[in-house]
Amino acid sequence: MTVSIEPRRRSMFPQSGEQWQEFAARVFPDQDLNVAVEQLQSWNLHISYRVPTGKLLPSDVVFIEPPLPE
Amino acid sequence: MYDLLITNALICDGSGTPGYEGSVAVKDGKIAAVGQVDAQALQVIDAQGLVLSPGFVEPHAHYDAQMTWDGLATPIMEHGVTAIVQGNCSLSLAPVREQDREFMAKTFRHIEEMPENAFDAGLKWSWETFDDYNKAISNDELGINVATLVGHSPLRLWVLGEESRVRSSTVEEITQLQQELRNCLDGGALGLSTSFVDTDFEQCAVPCRWAATEELDALCAVLGEYKATLQVVPEFWNEDLLCARIDLMADLSRKHGIKVTFSPLFDSVAAPNLVNVALERVKYQRELGGVVIPQVQTRPSDITFNLKRTSAIFVTKRSWWDTLSVSKEERIALYKNSEKRAELIEELKNGLMPIALHIEFDKITINHIDSDKNRQYNGMTLAQVAMARNCDIAEVMLDLSLEEDFEVEFTAASLAHDNPEKVADMLTSEYTMVGAGDAGAHVTRFATYGDTTYLFSKFVREQHALTIEQAVQKLTSETYEVWGIKNRGYLREGYAADMVIFDPVTIDRGPEVMAYDLPAEGFRYVREAFGIKQVFVNGQQTYIAGQGYTDNRAGEILRVG
Repeated sequence: MTVSIEPRRRSMFPQSGEQWQEFAARVFPDQDLNVAVEQLQSWNLHISYRVPTGKLLPSDVVFIEPPLPE
Repeated sequence: MYDLLITNALICDGSGTPGYEGSVAVKDGKIAAVGQVDAQALQVIDAQGLVLSPGFVEPHAHYDAQMTWDGLATPIMEHGVTAIVQGNCSLSLAPVREQDREFMAKTFRHIEEMPENAFDAGLKWSWETFDDYNKAISNDELGINVATLVGHSPLRLWVLGEESRVRSSTVEEITQLQQELRNCLDGGALGLSTSFVDTDFEQCAVPCRWAATEELDALCAVLGEYKATLQVVPEFWNEDLLCARIDLMADLSRKHGIKVTFSPLFDSVAAPNLVNVALERVKYQRELGGVVIPQVQTRPSDITFNLKRTSAIFVTKRSWWDTLSVSKEERIALYKNSEKRAELIEELKNGLMPIALHIEFDKITINHIDSDKNRQYNGMTLAQVAMARNCDIAEVMLDLSLEEDFEVEFTAASLAHDNPEKVADMLTSEYTMVGAGDAGAHVTRFATYGDTTYLFSKFVREQHALTIEQAVQKLTSETYEVWGIKNRGYLREGYAADMVIFDPVTIDRGPEVMAYDLPAEGFRYVREAFGIKQVFVNGQQTYIAGQGYTDNRAGEILRVG
């Protein structure tokens, strides 16, 4: 059974081998790459502040929009 | 002639319906008759004034190592438990090849906070496959029923080797992972566990976190073939992350026709709306066919600690953590050094909290000092002692530890999940199950035993949130249903005679106490049980309050179906 559900906050999973740059280029192809990466990292502190690397894991939920307003 | 007849009991049969006075007869490990039974039996027990119910289930345990040296899973049976589900959080001790044993042992000890000396002294690896692990623990000493999940991390380690720690799997490897999961399920595994949270002993993501969603999807397809369940540790402290994971779990449930249970659903002032948001999401997904079942622990988060070893209390206090990671002699020197003391005093004032916990250091209590000199401080808060000694609260911890040669225990109580009305609502929700107790894990930090008895004392007797019958149902039939284990969890004819006799007026958990009862005199915190009178496993009288464990060992490996 397949259903389409509006997410609470939009997110995507990295594809195989993707790091921030590749992910940003895929998700925001029209944006400046550095800006897109910085934006994504600021929306995903659970990953970018991760010790020791701050790198993406294949199982990570990566938010592609900012946090919801309170 | 029956083997056993328990008479005059208040029978709470696991269905949640009102209890009634009657008898239960047992023959060949199975319940043979329930109700008004007038027959002979080899053993007759009068349970006047007591409740007779199915044995309780601990659905989130980490006894995987302990089961190899302690077939009773002490002390959980003393709290009425006749079955445990272990292998949670992506961690099992099978399948594990010989060359991967050290990694798995270190990772298991790290995540589950088990004493290294006890773990290494007690654990004698004699298996590699899942089937052989089950054979290793189903010996003459097995006194409790055990169901074990396959950990996603060792599963990946089995197929990808060391590379499981650094990359996702190929299409061919996913096929191999599926086949090995089938091997494990054929060998008696109850399901699969995975984690989006845990790190190994080197603080790197555990292997399962390197799995892409395609891999997890393929493994869930295998679970669907076996009608087995997936257990998940999601990012339980953040609303957005948890909801995204609930959506993922619901998708897997719908697609493969499986149940998914996650642990924990946890209340904390650090995220006051999280529980309501998550439960709404679970309900929404359930209406759309996704079966995602949060596990809710009954106990609040309390942590007992001393200044002999690291503790979660100091996770965000780097200087404190570092002093607890050095030798005793070095620690004494540091605690006497005025510069270091100033640093520690200052650091305790920073407001950084561990994930999902809220620690008020001034309210931490002294819970164990033996000496005449300082015994008067037992039960006092750090703030009270600081006032009495005219010093800072950090100095209270440092000075008492030095004066007592570190034989002083502190308790930080009610760090989270401590609002009884809110937790009662969580426990009674039709969308949750009782669980997430972590029995057998974190034993050097706090006691993970007694959640079952606490459910009755706190939420039945004190909060009146559940009836006795509903509490029994939560701990028995509801739990077995989630895991797909049949013919257990009810007092019904033909069902396994896993039973507990308890006093509804006194059932409770005792205070947290220190014990050195693991192999190599390994240390752990435990809790005594009150009100549990007798426990029967597969019809065999296995525990009697006041007398201890009998010689009967009738535990079985539980599997789906």
